[in-house]
Amino acid sequence: MIAFAAPASATAPGLFLPRILREAFRREPLYAGAAAILAISMLPTLVAYALDDRLVVGVAAWAKPLKFEASLATYLFTLAWFAGWLPAGHVRRRPHWLLSRAVVVAVALEMAWLVGAAAHGVASHFNVESQAMVNIYRAMGALAVLLTSASAVLGIAILRARDAGGDPALRLAIGIGLVLTVVLTLPTAGYLSSGAGHLVGVEAEGARRLALFGWARDGGDLRVAHFLATHALHAIPLAGWVASRLLAAGAARMAVILCSLAYAMLVAWTFAEALAGRPFLPFLG
Amino acid sequence: MILPPEAAFSAANSLALAGWVALLASPRFPRAAQAVAGAAAPLLLSIAYTGIILASWTRAEGGFGSLAEVMRLFDSPLVALASWIHYLAFDLLVGAAIARGAREEAIAFVLVIPCLVLAFLFGPAGFLAFAALRWTRRAARAATIQE
Repeated sequence: MIAFAAPASATAPGLFLPRILREAFRREPLYAGAAAILAISMLPTLVAYALDDRLVVGVAAWAKPLKFEASLATYLFTLAWFAGWLPAGHVRRRPHWLLSRAVVVAVALEMAWLVGAAAHGVASHFNVESQAMVNIYRAMGALAVLLTSASAVLGIAILRARDAGGDPALRLAIGIGLVLTVVLTLPTAGYLSSGAGHLVGVEAEGARRLALFGWARDGGDLRVAHFLATHALHAIPLAGWVASRLLAAGAARMAVILCSLAYAMLVAWTFAEALAGRPFLPFLG
Repeated sequence: MILPPEAAFSAANSLALAGWVALLASPRFPRAAQAVAGAAAPLLLSIAYTGIILASWTRAEGGFGSLAEVMRLFDSPLVALASWIHYLAFDLLVGAAIARGAREEAIAFVLVIPCLVLAFLFGPAGFLAFAALRWTRRAARAATIQE
């Protein structure tokens, strides 16, 4: 009867796609595709955020799914982009094929849980109301470890592929950044998730918070270290990119290593400060 | 609540209406009409629908099991709003498909207008009217060619 399919001219060849997205899809189609779908899911989630006035632990119910859609989309897009530094054909080989599918399934399960929890107006994290909730929280933690570990696997493969071309200092920075993200995230996020909550020594829920990030201004907040740890995969490659433009090869390499050490110390410092109940850069916000 | 349901209702109606106006102008601007009524407007309505259902579904009473349960679903203003947007989006998609089908078979637009009006007001009735119109034309043509 009436055909709902678009005419053939509206499909693939003429599809509008900004160059940066086209390149990400070429490098790692699964990660790029999952990132795109997460980004698109932010649209209905924003509508739900605007309509739903329920609060979960003092925060709008849909804030958390929204944040995770944004951050997981960023994470997967970053992995897709850096996959361009792998040797040719690596993405299509069995180990990467299996791991990337496992990662996308883990992301899908995490998002299903976060959206389901928000829809029911219950806490998705630190929920100890019942044994079932505790078990789900543990399972989600295991999936989070799985999806984070993909960054280290990718980083090691990039570090080992020295002959695959590109600037050596930038390759080193990308590889270290991807590995450091996992090395720093596992202890900080692991400690954060195994406690009772993300705040240390804060008097009241809903007190002063840093805009957008929501970090506590009147006490320690363990999420600062988690945030910085997880963004090592952006910070170190950025430092490597700058170093590779400004410095000779040997000096750029040294600069990348020094920046990586400094960044790891910064994460350790914010973690220690939060544990001591002190806010991160209290003059902000 | 950042967006009151009444405001969302008015915005959705205006958006759907823009799509129907585009379909009325489709003989002159077929590609633009399809872009608006066959893609942009239904997609925006679908985003709104999905968000509203996410925000309201678990709090609504009722279900799909019986007519009484379905009627209880509509007691929730947000579920009723979502359902209205569901009509708007899918009726518009049917309207776009009618305009596309009429163009493919070069059906005179005066005959298509009543189908579009019916689809706008009573969705499935417009779909039925267009299906009947198209079948009749095909049958008449087939009969003429055979003779």
